[in-house]
Amino acid sequence: MKKQGRGMATIMFGFGYGEGFPDHSIASVEIEDSGKILIRTAAADVGQGVLTVITQIAAEVLKVKPEIIRIIPGDTHLTKSSGSTSATRQTFFTGNAVKEASEGLLSNIYHYASIEFRSNHVELEIKDGYIFRNDNPNYRLSYWELADKVKERGDSLKAEASFFPHTDKPDPKTGQGEKLYVAYTFVTQIVDVEVDTDTGVVEILNVYTAADIGKAINPKNVEGQIEGGTVQGIGMALMEEQVIKEGITLNPNLTGYLIPTSMDTPRFVTRLVENEDSEGPFGAKGIGEPATIATTPAIANAIYDAIGVRIYHLPITPEKILKALKEKRKNK
Amino acid sequence: MKKMPKRYVGKNIFKVDAQDKVTGKAQYSDDIYFDDMLYLKIKRATYPHAYLRRIDISKAQKIPGVVKIITAADIPEVKNFGLIIKDQPVLIGIGRKMRYMGDALAIVIAESKEIASKAVKLIEVEVEKLEVISDPLRAMEKDAPLIHQDSNILATHYLEKGDVKKGFTQADVIVENEYKTSFLDQVPLQIEAGIGVFDPETEIIKLWAATQWLHDTQADVAQSLGLPKEKIRIIQPVIGGAFGKKEDISVHIHLALAAIATKRPVKFSYTREESMIAQSKRHPFIIQMKTGVTKKGYLTACQVEVIGDTGAYASSGLAVVHKGMYHCTGPYNVDNVKGVAHTVYTNNTYCGAMRGFGATQMAFAYESQMDILSHKLEIDPVQFRLQNAYNHGSSTPNGQILTHSVGVKETIKEAADMTGWKEGR
Amino acid sequence: MSKLTIGFIINGQKKIIETTPFTRLLDLIRDDLHLTGTKEGCGKGECGACTVIMNGELVASCLILALQADGAVITTIEGIGSGGHLDPIQKAFVETGAVQCGFCTPGMILAAKKLLEENPYPTEEEIKRGISGNLCRCTGYQKIFDAIKLAANRLSTRDGGRGEKDA
Ligand code: FES
Ligand code: FES
Repeated sequence: MKKQGRGMATIMFGFGYGEGFPDHSIASVEIEDSGKILIRTAAADVGQGVLTVITQIAAEVLKVKPEIIRIIPGDTHLTKSSGSTSATRQTFFTGNAVKEASEGLLSNIYHYASIEFRSNHVELEIKDGYIFRNDNPNYRLSYWELADKVKERGDSLKAEASFFPHTDKPDPKTGQGEKLYVAYTFVTQIVDVEVDTDTGVVEILNVYTAADIGKAINPKNVEGQIEGGTVQGIGMALMEEQVIKEGITLNPNLTGYLIPTSMDTPRFVTRLVENEDSEGPFGAKGIGEPATIATTPAIANAIYDAIGVRIYHLPITPEKILKALKEKRKNK
Repeated sequence: MKKMPKRYVGKNIFKVDAQDKVTGKAQYSDDIYFDDMLYLKIKRATYPHAYLRRIDISKAQKIPGVVKIITAADIPEVKNFGLIIKDQPVLIGIGRKMRYMGDALAIVIAESKEIASKAVKLIEVEVEKLEVISDPLRAMEKDAPLIHQDSNILATHYLEKGDVKKGFTQADVIVENEYKTSFLDQVPLQIEAGIGVFDPETEIIKLWAATQWLHDTQADVAQSLGLPKEKIRIIQPVIGGAFGKKEDISVHIHLALAAIATKRPVKFSYTREESMIAQSKRHPFIIQMKTGVTKKGYLTACQVEVIGDTGAYASSGLAVVHKGMYHCTGPYNVDNVKGVAHTVYTNNTYCGAMRGFGATQMAFAYESQMDILSHKLEIDPVQFRLQNAYNHGSSTPNGQILTHSVGVKETIKEAADMTGWKEGR
Repeated sequence: MSKLTIGFIINGQKKIIETTPFTRLLDLIRDDLHLTGTKEGCGKGECGACTVIMNGELVASCLILALQADGAVITTIEGIGSGGHLDPIQKAFVETGAVQCGFCTPGMILAAKKLLEENPYPTEEEIKRGISGNLCRCTGYQKIFDAIKLAANRLSTRDGGRGEKDA
C-alpha cells in the first residue's frame, strides 16, 4: 500500500570558521589595460558560483556591465589568500572583500577624476564606466582613459581590501563565547513523501523550502544551491552509506554507493526570505551548507507521518522500513 | 529601511564560467597535458592497521617504462601533513604503521598509466597485523591499542549553558533517543587529479590540482617538503565539485615529490575507488540526545553526547564534531544546554569536511526530537517550532546573542504558507 | 604491446590513429585527441560523464574499446558547438542555471541531444528518464530539466513545430 506523509524541519547554521580562528579574505580590483576590470582573488569556485557573485558585486559598485569584469584564475603566486571555499563563507567573506576593494577603486576614480576635471567630488557623476562633470556630460573620461592619466602621475587605478571579522574562541569548559560565528543562516523545509509499505521504497514528492539568506546576490543560483543541497540530503536520508567493515570499504564505487539520480528529484517550491539585515555584502548570507541540512530530518519526519515508524539510524533504507513496520505490527 | 534598486545584485546573471563548461573548453586538472609527461600511481596499505615490515620494489622496478619508485626511505626529511594536526604521513616507512587502507606505501612513476598500475601490483609488502579498530566505542575502551601515540580520543569538547538539571525539572515531558548517521562520500563528480612540474631554473614546483583553499594547501605542501612557501606554486584549474572532499591534501605532495625526483611533468589521477577509500568521508555520529519541554510546548533543556568517528587521521575532524554539538538545539531558545563531544580515531577511512560540517548530522537528531515532542504534546509542529524559534536577541547554545538577520520565524511561516499547512494536516 | 591502426570520423573530422587492443575509447578521445570535454567520473559505466554519441547511440566511452570505434562516426561535446556557435541545448544550459561545477555537463548535453532527437517534445517524466544514466552531484537535476525543456521549446519553434515562443 502507498501511504503519503508530510514532515518538516527547521535548521540553523553558523557560518565562517568562527571560534576565533583567523578567518579572512583578500581581494583586489584594478583597471586593466585590456578594457577590462580585473579582480584578483584565490576564492575557489567549486561550481557554487562565487565568481559570478563577485562579478555582480564589482559590476554593481563600479557601475559597469558584468562582461567588463575579469577574474584571474586562482594562483598562489598571483593572488592573496581568500581562505577556503567551505564553511559557507565565500559570498560573505570574498563578497565583502571584493565589495570593499571595488569601493576603494571607485574612491580612487573619483579622487583622480576630480584632479583631471578640477572639480570637487559632488560635481562628478559616473555612468557605464565613464566619469564626467554634471555640468558637462559631453566631456567625459572612461575608467581606462583615466587610468592612463593616473599612470602618468606615477600611480595606478587599483585597490585591495580584506574582510576580517572578529570571532571569539569559545571557553574550553563551556563552549560559551560572545561571537562564535559571523552569522547564521536559517532554513525551513517541508517535505511530502510516499512510502510503499510493501517494498519499503520512499518517494520524495514535494520539497517546499524557505531560506533566510539575507539577500540573494543571484536568486537563480541560490535556488540551484538549495535544489542541489536538497537532493544530497535525499541521498543521506534514503540511500547513501559508505560501508566500512573492519577498516575495509565494501562499496567503493557508484554501483555499491548510490547517489540520487534524476529519477529521485522531487518537485521543488522555493522562497527566499530576504531581510537584507546581515553584515554580508548587500545584506547577503551564505547558503552552501544550510541548503542540505534540513532535508534529511524533514524526510525522516515525513516517513513517520506516513507510516508511524521512526528510524533512528541513517540511511532509511527499504529494509529498515520493512523491518520497522513488521515490528510495529507485532507490537500491536 | 528602503534599499536602492540594484542593477546587477539580486539579478539572475548567467554564471560567468558556464559558457566554457557547456562547450567542454573548461580545463579541469586532468585535462591538462604536457609533452613528455609521466604518470603516477600509489601503492597503498595492504591492511587497515599494521606495521610495515618489508617493502620490495625490485620486481616492479624491472618493468620497462617504470621511471622511478619512491619509498619512505628515499625521503627521510619529508614531514607529516594535515589540516589541523599534522598526523598524516606522506609515505609509510619500514617499522611504521599503516592506519587505514588509504595510507601510501610507495609512489610509482612510469611512462604510462598502465605501466604504473602494473608496477604497483608487483610491489611486495610484508606487514605485522594489529587489531583493527573499526568501532569508535571499541577505540574508546581503556585496553584498546593506540592508533597514534596518544589516546584514541583525539579531542573532547564541552558545552554548558544555564543549568540542565534545573531545566529538566522544569520539563513536563522529556524524550531521550540515540541517533546514528553513516559514513558518506561527498562524491564530487570530478575525481582527484593533478599535474606537477619542477622548474629547474627557479626551483619552483608548479602544481595544477584542485583545492578548496589554495594558500593553505600550498602551506601544507611546503611544510611537508621543508620548502619555503613560495617554492610551491599551485594553479587552480576548474574544479569539478568538492563538497568538502577537496579540502584535504590528495595528489599534491606525491606529485611534488615525483616532479622533483624525475624533473619531468607528472600526472596523477585517482580512480573513483581510490577516491572513496583514500579521501575524506562525512563523520558518522552517534548522538545521544535528551530534550525537555513544558506542557505548553516550551523547550527547557537539551543534553547531548556526541561520538564522531574521525577514522585514521584528524583532518578537520576536531572542528566538525564539536561544531555539530554547538548546533544541538537547532534554531530554538533553550536556556539550559549541556553537551560533550568526542572525536575518536579508528582504522576507518579518515573523515573530514562535508557540506554542513557536523551540523548536518546534528539536525537529524534535534529535528527528529522536535517532531517526537510535537506528537507527544499534540501541538502542531509549525506552531511548536514558531513558539520556540529564535528572535533578535536570542542566545545560541554558545551564548552568542543574535543581533542581525534572524529570519528563522519567517522561514517557518513561509514554508507553512507554501503548503497551505493548516489544511495540509 | 601490439599497435593497431583504426579510422573513424569524430566531430566531422576523419582520423586515422594508432592504438592498442586495450585502449579505452575514452583514453583515445582524451589522451590522443585531447578532446578533453569528455570526462571520466568513474571508469565503470556508472556516471555518464564520459558519454559520447557513437553511430547515433549514446555510449559510455569508458566501457568501449578504441578498436570498437573503427569505422564509426562519433560526436563529443566539442562537436556540438563551441565559442560563438552554441547549440540551443548548450545555450539553454547556460541560461537556466543548469551548470554548476560543469563536470557532468558535457555528458548531460549529449544525453539531452539524443533525447530531443528522438523525442522533440518530451514531458518532464521523459526528460528524467532520458538523462537518468548521467549523474550530477551539484544541481539536484531540476535546472537541467528546465534547460532541456527550454531547448525543446526553442528547437520546435524553429522547426515550425508546436513549441512556445522563446522564453
Ligand atoms: S566515466 Fe564512463 S560512465 Fe563514468
Ligand atoms: S554540475 Fe557538478 S556534477 Fe553536475
